[in-house]
Formats: sequence, C-alpha cells, structure tokens
Amino acid sequence: MNSTSTVRAPDSPVGIGGESFVVELERFQGPLDLLLHLIRSQDIDVFDIPISHITAQFRAAIEHGLDEMPLERAGEFIEMSATLIRIKAQLLLPRPEKLEWEEDPRAELVRRLLEYEHFQDVVHVLQTAEAQRGRHMGKGFVETRPPPAASRSILQLTLDELLHAAAHIPEPLPPIHVRAPSSTVTVGEKVSLLRRLIGRAKRVALDRLFKPWGTRAHAVAALLAALEMARQQVVRIEQTKPFSPIWLLAVGRGGEESDAEENS
Amino acid sequence: MKPEQIVEATLFASQTPLTPAELARADEGLSDADVEQAIQVLRERYEANEAAFQVYQLGDGYQILTRPEFAPYLERFDSVPRPPHLSPAALESLAIIAYRQPIGRIEIEDVRGVSASSVLRTLLDWELITVVGRGDGLGRPLLYGTTDRFLEHFGLKGISDLPSAEELPVELGAAKEQPEAEAAPELDQAPEVDAEPPVVALPASDTLT
Repeated sequence: MNSTSTVRAPDSPVGIGGESFVVELERFQGPLDLLLHLIRSQDIDVFDIPISHITAQFRAAIEHGLDEMPLERAGEFIEMSATLIRIKAQLLLPRPEKLEWEEDPRAELVRRLLEYEHFQDVVHVLQTAEAQRGRHMGKGFVETRPPPAASRSILQLTLDELLHAAAHIPEPLPPIHVRAPSSTVTVGEKVSLLRRLIGRAKRVALDRLFKPWGTRAHAVAALLAALEMARQQVVRIEQTKPFSPIWLLAVGRGGEESDAEENS
Repeated sequence: MKPEQIVEATLFASQTPLTPAELARADEGLSDADVEQAIQVLRERYEANEAAFQVYQLGDGYQILTRPEFAPYLERFDSVPRPPHLSPAALESLAIIAYRQPIGRIEIEDVRGVSASSVLRTLLDWELITVVGRGDGLGRPLLYGTTDRFLEHFGLKGISDLPSAEELPVELGAAKEQPEAEAAPELDQAPEVDAEPPVVALPASDTLT
C-alpha cells in the first residue's frame, strides 16, 4: 500500500479534487464510467494505461465523494480502486524471465472498459432514437378539451398608486367587547317555513324564502334549510340554467309534515 | 367500405399501435395481407397529400403519428404529460439487455460495474423489459429481454433496427485485432460477447421518417 502514498497528489487535469468534486462524482454512473472518463479525457491509450497514474487519479477523485454516497454505491468505487491497486502491484512484481506468454494484468480491465464504452455507444443510439420518437405525437397528445383560459386582467398599477392606496387603509378599529344578539333567524325557522310553503305549493323559488327580509343572514339560513331538506329528501333542488331561479320541488309526501316542529 | 377506409378509421381512433391481426378484426373480410396493403395505400396517400401525419410502424404494430416537423407546434400543448426520458442508468441497462438478451442481472452488473437491481425493477414496471426465462446458473437466475413497449418507446420496428455491434464506433472487435499480444484483452472471457449481433435490416434512420 505504501506505493499509494508515493503517487499522492497527482495533478488533476480533469478538474478533480477540491470540495466541488462531491457533486462531480454524482455525474458518473459508476466506477467504469469514471475510469473511462479519466482515460478518454486525457487521451490515454486504452491498451497501454499508465496504471499508477490512473490509480492515483481515481483514488483522488473518489476520496471526497465516498462519504456522501450510499454504502452500496461507495462499495462499487472502492472495489474498482482495489482492482486498480492489485493490477499495479502485479505490474510491479518482479517476473520470472521465461514465461512463454504472459497475460498483461491490465487485460481484463481493458476488456471491461471497452465493453462498457461499447454500450455507451448503444446508449447514444437509444437516446437519439428516443428523442426522434418524441417528435412524433399520437392521438391524445393534445388534451381533448383544454380548460377555458382564466380571464386574467392584469392589474395596471403604478408604485405611487399602490403606496397611496396603502396609506389610506384605515387603522384596524380597536376590538369592541359587546355581546351581539344571536342570529335573528335560525335554520330551523327556515326549515319549517319551507315545509309550510312546500306543503301548499309543491314548488317554491328559493329567493321567496329570504326576499321579504333581504339580509344575508336570512339568505344563508334559507339556503342551509333548503340543503338540509334536500338531504332529508323532502325537496329536490333544481335550476334550469346558470343564474336562473333555484326551485325547490316537493318530493313525494314531504309537504304534509309541515308545522310538525319548531313553529315560528 | 374499402379496406383502407376501415383500416384508416381503426388506426385513427386508436391511441396505441395495432398489429395487422388486430386491425383485421375490424371486418371479417379483411386478411392480414389486406391490412398491410391498405396501410401501404394510406401511406402513399398521406405522402401525396402532404398530410401532417403518417402511419408508422412501431414494433409489430402500426399507429398514426404526426410528422416530426410538427413537434414544435404540438409541444406548446403541454397539458398531457409526456413519457419521461429514461435515465442514463436505465438506458445503460436497456442497451445491454437489447444486445445481449436473454441476459441475467449478474451479467448486466458485470458490464456496468454497478448494481442493477433497482433499475431493472423500474424497467420491468415500465414494461420496457420482461422476464423471458431462467438461466442454468446457480439459483436459476431470471433472464430479461426487451418488450414491444421498448420498441414503441424508441420508435423501432424491431430490435434489428438497432445498429449491429460492428457498426458502432467503439467495437468490441477492434480489441480483438489489436496486434500487441501482451495487452490484448481477453475477449473470449466475456460472457457471450458478440452474442449474435442482430442482423441489420434497415438503418435506424429509416424507422421513422
């Protein structure tokens, strides 16, 4: 392992080293990708890889990124690192002179690198095909009925106008501690009113329930009463078109139970 | 009704590719051959009329798709989500599977040098690959192959639309012929290297034009 320390701090022609590398390492699919990048970006002959040089660069490259990585992914880089060191060690070992044909320790790595690079080409072919396919649209690409464009009237406003308006916002009034009388109308009252009307007419326009009083509380109570009775299936609520009168229609014998409760 | 009209109506109404057999179901009088012929008629007609769409072959099926030059206009309607582009990891695994199928997970990982299990699960979910069998090895590993969805996704008629291994810039073959014996990589050790390079019927560029 002491060989590692001697080749420490290699010049980093590919911008490796430094804190920024943590992000860099993410770009690589794996150790083969990184190794291939180191080799190709430095125009190194893949059949004659300077193992010591590349090993040092590889180790420097992964040094900062490893801590950030999930264990499994880190293991893949470390395994490659170990492989490189093993190859280096094999190259350094003195060899007996006469071995008829000896395999270069790097051969297996070279084979893997070339194979990996080969499939990178296939990846490019697939990417091109994917992009090309993406330019053909089938049925359903454009939404059948696009939502109506929301009418967005852009507010024309100068800063002065805005400030002016802001300056005239009244101060919030101090809270007044008075007990307001409880609502002058209850849903119950409206329900019984509605029951009576329905009992007589079978068909009542909703606004008849609150028109005579004309306050918001009455309108709300009337609406709630109508909904409540619809829920009880005493009336049906119908409206022929938007903004037209809302009609309450008696269902079955619903109207006959009028005045049964809460007579106002 | 003329056969090409029936085929046209069926293709027009379909959101997915239809095989000749599927198209022939539209009418008892239609044979697969009639369908093929009808498609040819339609193609020529659309070509002559400068139609904005054409009948394209995807895998075994046919589908009416817009011509690529209209993509910029259609892309303004982004209301419908488009199929996601595959990640580099997914593409790597797919590339290996496409060329080496049937292939097991271990062999894929050997080539990539990284784990492939999660990527394989994604590809299976997207139906881009499928289990095509089991290997003889320990535990009878699952073997994977590409699907029709794969061909559709990449706009291929068949796996043979992909360039053969020899046509790619970095060939495995180049390493074989390397003269220096010492550094010559042992290609034969590779699991099924050059496993039957697919016969190239048509260059990929002809697939969708």
